[in-house]
Amino acid sequence: MDILGLLRFYILYPSFFVTVIFPGLVFTLLLLLVTIWFERKAAARVQMRIGPYYASKRLGGILQLVADAVKFVFSEIIIPNEVNPTLYALAPVLMVIASFLPIAVIPLSVIPPSGSVFSIYFKDFYDPDINAGVIAGLFVNYNLLLVLAIESVYPIFVVLLAWSTNNRFAVVGAVRETYLSVSYDVILLMSTLAMALEYHTLDIAKIVSYGIPGIVANPLAAFLFFVAMLMGSSRFPFDISEAETELVIGPYTEYSGFLFVLTMAGSYVGNFIYALVFADVFLWGWYPLSGFPGLVLTVLKAVIVLFFATFMRSVYARYRVDQALRGSWKYLLPLAFASLILGMVVGYVWIR
Amino acid sequence: MTNRLEDVLENSGMAVDIVPVEGELNVGPQHPGSGHMRILVKLNGDIIEDVDLDVGYVHRAVEKLGENRNYMHLIPLVERPAILDSIHMNLGYVMAVEKIINVDVPERAQYLRSFAAEVNRIASHLYGLGILGIFLGHSTAFMWGFGDREVWVHILEMLTGARVTNSYIIPGGVRRDLTPAIIEETKKAITYMRKKLEDWKKIFLYNPTIRARLENVGVMTKEKAIEWGAVGPNLRASGVYYDVRKIEPYAAYPKLDFEIPVYKEGDGYARTMVRFEEVEQSLRMLEQIIKEIPEGNILSDRFFKQIPPTRLKKWWEGYRRIVLPGYYASFRPPKGEAVTRVEAARGELLYYLVSDGSAKPYRLRMVTPSYRLINVMRNLAKGSRFADLVSIYGSLDYFPPEADR
Repeated sequence: MDILGLLRFYILYPSFFVTVIFPGLVFTLLLLLVTIWFERKAAARVQMRIGPYYASKRLGGILQLVADAVKFVFSEIIIPNEVNPTLYALAPVLMVIASFLPIAVIPLSVIPPSGSVFSIYFKDFYDPDINAGVIAGLFVNYNLLLVLAIESVYPIFVVLLAWSTNNRFAVVGAVRETYLSVSYDVILLMSTLAMALEYHTLDIAKIVSYGIPGIVANPLAAFLFFVAMLMGSSRFPFDISEAETELVIGPYTEYSGFLFVLTMAGSYVGNFIYALVFADVFLWGWYPLSGFPGLVLTVLKAVIVLFFATFMRSVYARYRVDQALRGSWKYLLPLAFASLILGMVVGYVWIR
Repeated sequence: MTNRLEDVLENSGMAVDIVPVEGELNVGPQHPGSGHMRILVKLNGDIIEDVDLDVGYVHRAVEKLGENRNYMHLIPLVERPAILDSIHMNLGYVMAVEKIINVDVPERAQYLRSFAAEVNRIASHLYGLGILGIFLGHSTAFMWGFGDREVWVHILEMLTGARVTNSYIIPGGVRRDLTPAIIEETKKAITYMRKKLEDWKKIFLYNPTIRARLENVGVMTKEKAIEWGAVGPNLRASGVYYDVRKIEPYAAYPKLDFEIPVYKEGDGYARTMVRFEEVEQSLRMLEQIIKEIPEGNILSDRFFKQIPPTRLKKWWEGYRRIVLPGYYASFRPPKGEAVTRVEAARGELLYYLVSDGSAKPYRLRMVTPSYRLINVMRNLAKGSRFADLVSIYGSLDYFPPEADR
């Protein structure tokens, strides 16, 4: 094998390609900029404004975000006197890692035995359930469960972050985040459990390759997952822990410069991971395609879900924390049970 | 029930220690949701135990400064506390001066005063709704409020020459006349606003999140509203029919046909609804004013005669503008005192002016509507949730500079 072929082999190796290049670190960084640009542009459209414009008139002002990012990276990081500097700097990093980690185990496409650039890895990422290879950082049989388990660690780091900054607004925001995380994680898990029961598997790849999109098989679970996703990633109308006019920016109040970018990125990355799961489980993932085009299709669907979630900003105000809690325990939890039963029934009758 | 549950838990060795979480939050004055003041919030968990509104952050000593300026120079000063509502601030003061110097105002000027006041009322209410929107996290309402306000600010600019601090009303009349171009623009603005109010209802008033945040929040009963001294839309939202425009009509209001929206719920949603309907009523009044405005002079003859004929020809006949006659430079009104009330956008605005015969007032007292809301806001916030603080604040349309003066 020549050197180029070797390089190609390692770059395209799914564990590297998925986690670092696409849709991993490099793509996520770009996506972050595009998402915030879209959020600002779409809101501006609704709100009779133009939004970012002057930084690059032909590109619709997208370079404004690059300029913002450069500015943030080079601005001073102010560390308050009374904090532990190690924890203070480490907490946002850990938070972003926790929110980003699940991307390693989400199946994003299948590898056909031949004909795809990924076909050489067919055996290494072989999934016996669907009799094909899977493009994922690491193939695990129970990836549906693992994704949610890793992602649910994220709020713990939010609390750590708020605690280490020693700010009252941050602590109030962290307490709100704690309350919310307890309620949305339950709904998130129950709606995915409904899908697992329905498709008789905890493997996302098998759910996708069944041939019936989850949103058709169990629309209730899809709705619940979407709402819980909005809660979990602090999107409107559940922008409760960061409520700007109440808590400045909630847990992230004390941060500045690049660490602030990391704290902001945490919720967007978390939203993107949930959107990837949503695209896979409910929107049929890569379905008619496979290989690299399938990967692109899955990510495209996830990006649309992400954009839709960010668009909520221009439609809704924010709920109060007690209203969100009451809503999720009083109305969404019974709905989650209903979706479980629906999943069981449909799984027994239709999907075998 | 709770006692029994606690007993069960204790007997089984699973007793829960409920630790009261008390603390103070220092909201403002540099905070996205505090405005120009500091709010000391004493919290018990999520419940507000006490609120201390530390007002005075933008205090400008308008009343004291008023004793050191002559009467005309005071006009721009009294507008400053509420620049978004400057026509009303101006109107109340000028009415007090007119009472002391005893001058009649021509009919056309009265109509123009009402016209400017209602345009300003719409602009001010849209501002308030925008602030309420962003307090609740609804950025669209914020941008729409400020965007739609621009339409009305533009009309004020055409009429008076300034966007916000207009200084339009002078003792004896107003400074500029209504031109056909302004009438045309106002008609367009009325049509636009009617259309836009429908959109406002869809995205703001009927929005489930807005309803959840405003309904049954900051409820003020009729008795409490009177006891705490609430004024304006906040009082009317608690079921009290009180509006200076009806009780003690001034300017052209006796001749205009309009209604006073009154709600009996007394919560934040009712207050928001009252503002919406007042905007609709103001649109109605503007239509009437445009149709019924009589021809004539816009300044009292007593002052009009003093304008030199050459300047009169150039400015009044050429541009329909008043050139201030020399009388205004530093007139000495007779001894006396006057009290006037006007219905400003946020409620009753009271001026008390004492003249000792010199060129400067002996005492100028202004009781602004926001000043009266300090007590209301403090009482309403007690016992509500922390997140409701901004919702009460926004729904009262409290404006700190106006309260501080």
